[in-house]
Amino acid sequence: MSRATKQYILAIAGILCFITGLVLLKAIAEPKGVLQVLPYLCIGIGCGVFGHGAGEIAANRAYAKNPQLRKQMEIEKQDERNIAIANQAKAKAYDSMLYVLGAVMIAFALMNVQTTTILLLVGAYLLVVGVFIFYLNKYQKEQ
Amino acid sequence: MKNRLEELRKARGIKQEELAAILEVSRQTIGSLENGRYNPSILLAFKIARYFDMNIEDVFIYEEDAQ
Repeated sequence: MSRATKQYILAIAGILCFITGLVLLKAIAEPKGVLQVLPYLCIGIGCGVFGHGAGEIAANRAYAKNPQLRKQMEIEKQDERNIAIANQAKAKAYDSMLYVLGAVMIAFALMNVQTTTILLLVGAYLLVVGVFIFYLNKYQKEQ
Repeated sequence: MKNRLEELRKARGIKQEELAAILEVSRQTIGSLENGRYNPSILLAFKIARYFDMNIEDVFIYEEDAQ
């Protein structure tokens, strides 16, 4: 399957998902349980998938008219300085995320929020730190 | 780390855009290299040196004091 076909399938799947969400929203008068959330989930995912697919199709059309633009975009994407800057920014964002998550955990604890919610947040925090330690070890061995 | 990129490029009579296209990097990378704001990877340094038919140490000047 070609890349263009995949993009069209993705865009159509997004539209179908969005329509399914709308239909579910109208069809079910008194939703219960998972059906309360499902229509909105379908609409959200549908919009996201359609947006991604349509964006790729539009970009490909622009590139087809101007091959020089495609080459330039590829250079920009693979440019080592751009990659280094993006990685630096991600590292800063990760550092700040740990502080933000820590602050949110303290705030939730002070607000007497449900223990399950706080534990979920602590779990997410530890998972992120775990992923960091995993990749730190992996790259230490590889490089 | 200082370098002679701007001087060498001008001596060849090429624009930043042209050098960027030859080295397959962005024009901004060439600008940053020339200003000394960005130090290239060893691969890019080799690529630059090869393009100018020079050794790396003839293009990039290592200064111990700057470390």
